[in-house]
Amino acid sequence: MSGPNEDKNTQLSSHFFGDLLDSIIVDVASECHRIAKLGLDRNLEEEEEEMRLSVQARARVADPSNSSETNTKYVVDIFGQTHPSIATEIFECMNCGRSIAAGRFAPHLEKCMGKGRKARLKVTRSSTAAQNRYSRGSPVSAYSPYSNSTSTNRLSNGTPSVAGEEYSNGTYEEPWNKT
Amino acid sequence: MCLRSSSYTSPKPCKHLADYKLRHAFDGYDSLQNCLKTTPIGRTRVDNHNTKIPRCNFCNGYLGRLYICLMCSSISCSTHILLHTQSKSGHDVAIDIERSELYCCLCCDQVYDPDFDKVVVSEQIKGSCPGRSNKRRRLDSGMELDLKKSKRLIAMRDGRAKSCYPLGLRGLNNLGNTCFMNSVLQALLHAPPLRNYFLSDHHNRDECKRRYGEKLCLLCEIGALVSAMFSGDRSPYSPAQFLYSWWQHSSNLASYEEQDAHEFFISVLDGIHEKESKVRNSSKDDGDCQCIAHRAFSGSLRSDVTCTICGFTSTTYDPCVDVSLNLDTVNLSAAEKTGLSTLSGCLNLFTRAERLGSDSKLHCQNCQELRDTSKQLSISRLPLVLCLHIKRFEHSLIQKTSRKIDQYLQFPFALDMTPYLSSSIVRSRFGNRIFAFECENSDSSAEYEIFAVIAHSGMLESGHYVTYLHVNNQWYKCDDAWICEVDEGIVRASQCYMLFYVQKLLYHKANKDLSCNASVESR
Repeated sequence: MSGPNEDKNTQLSSHFFGDLLDSIIVDVASECHRIAKLGLDRNLEEEEEEMRLSVQARARVADPSNSSETNTKYVVDIFGQTHPSIATEIFECMNCGRSIAAGRFAPHLEKCMGKGRKARLKVTRSSTAAQNRYSRGSPVSAYSPYSNSTSTNRLSNGTPSVAGEEYSNGTYEEPWNKT
Repeated sequence: MCLRSSSYTSPKPCKHLADYKLRHAFDGYDSLQNCLKTTPIGRTRVDNHNTKIPRCNFCNGYLGRLYICLMCSSISCSTHILLHTQSKSGHDVAIDIERSELYCCLCCDQVYDPDFDKVVVSEQIKGSCPGRSNKRRRLDSGMELDLKKSKRLIAMRDGRAKSCYPLGLRGLNNLGNTCFMNSVLQALLHAPPLRNYFLSDHHNRDECKRRYGEKLCLLCEIGALVSAMFSGDRSPYSPAQFLYSWWQHSSNLASYEEQDAHEFFISVLDGIHEKESKVRNSSKDDGDCQCIAHRAFSGSLRSDVTCTICGFTSTTYDPCVDVSLNLDTVNLSAAEKTGLSTLSGCLNLFTRAERLGSDSKLHCQNCQELRDTSKQLSISRLPLVLCLHIKRFEHSLIQKTSRKIDQYLQFPFALDMTPYLSSSIVRSRFGNRIFAFECENSDSSAEYEIFAVIAHSGMLESGHYVTYLHVNNQWYKCDDAWICEVDEGIVRASQCYMLFYVQKLLYHKANKDLSCNASVESR
């Protein structure tokens, strides 16, 4: 392509591009004009205020010089009480009648009821959860278009320790052998 | 005069538009009605049926913005539109051909007229032939929250308890990796509808035992929990009986291992519902169920699937007890993730029109063929208590690994759900026209106040849940047995996993009732 033709083509294409761009800009302006005039965006100020407060809060928390949130465990609560890291309240297991410390109740109950990883049949959590959910018409959000089964959206808590494992301070609880 | 309906204002017309309406009423609109053409995505333009390209009368140009005069239907470009007005007296109002928006040539501004919008919308509806009667779901706001009449299940105050703290604040002992349960229980027990229901003894445990025997009843368990929490005793409570009952109910989840708080939440609501439906022997669908779980949490989602070729939309409704949201920055590359991830961003993502892939074509009733479709979700009925669940889990099918997304999510304390309502979403699909769409639900409020945040810290397989509660204008952190006061900034900066909002009107009433100066009646 010779020089002048090239220039003309470039000119034309940038002219068309400019036109398209103008059209899009006016389009967006017209849309926003309508939204603003009809008051469909009236909460802008409140939203900005919330945003500002959140950003401010984050900055404060990130600042190491701030005595921010201390680890709540091992401190005194608002009622003036202190608690051990593992709950020591003793009560009777409602399944077997044994006296159990609160902090060890769940692992005990698991074995006591014959549930848990070792006791259960090898079945994936996702299938049982989904089954359980839909067969009983439970109030699950059934709308999610691409949601995986809930098991893929779980945040676990606690340590992946084996039940009955020894804690640093406490006594070791003997596994309950149910006959 | 500005007419304000529930969600938008009808702006006052400019002098010129008002004049035009006085002189010509609907003549111009009616004559143009046949020239309005709507594309499947809801865009309406003025099309004169000519095969010729519309051109400006003055310069014969066809580029730029073109306007058609309401009086004489002559077309002018933006440069010459003023000339037209000046040359013909009274030809002040024109229509932007591309967008079917009214334009006042003398004010040089876009103007609005509900009557014109009605014409446009009628054309849009005709074009996409809905022909469907959408059942109007009315929000059940008949919750009895009369705490004054309720029998307070509060015993003598514990002498040790600091009497200035609100009732109901009490730590829950961790029974061994049960912080997932403790965190959800704290949020549930402080949800105004649930708290009031149980404090008012709506589920009387003695009567329940009498009628149904000692059989498992999650409602009784929760009732017992509420009593314990509001008893005035401030020493941490061990929800052992509750755990036992819950494991009997959800046997598949019964194990001492990592659990998900959201899953537990759903399971508890399910348990409440199940008992209630057994009691009433009803099989009402979730939308009309009157069990306390549904009365508090049940809302309705609307799903619109639109054919991209003809615009025909098929609508379905599904009840839901919560909304699970993907993070709005999930699919962005590392470079793009410069902005803050926000709750409104997630809600926008949730309600955006999504083009379904060509491999999932659906059958269009109108076209009688498989077509590419676009799907859009919106909330047709808001619940009293809105639970928003943030999906912080990322699952890679290729690597077969999962990881937690620690991304910070900004969330507001006051939330206006109006933009995510079906009425707003549907209206925006029609170009935000001033029109009374049938899905308008103006009798219920869309304004919410936050009252609980469940935050997760740590990694996927090992982490910790805590709940932040907002009671009487003070935030408290509920970390298993420990209850502490925290500054609201701590809550704002936390890594939220589940957010609990309650309708603003309920929130203020509930807070009044729970003030610590309330009288104590012994049982």
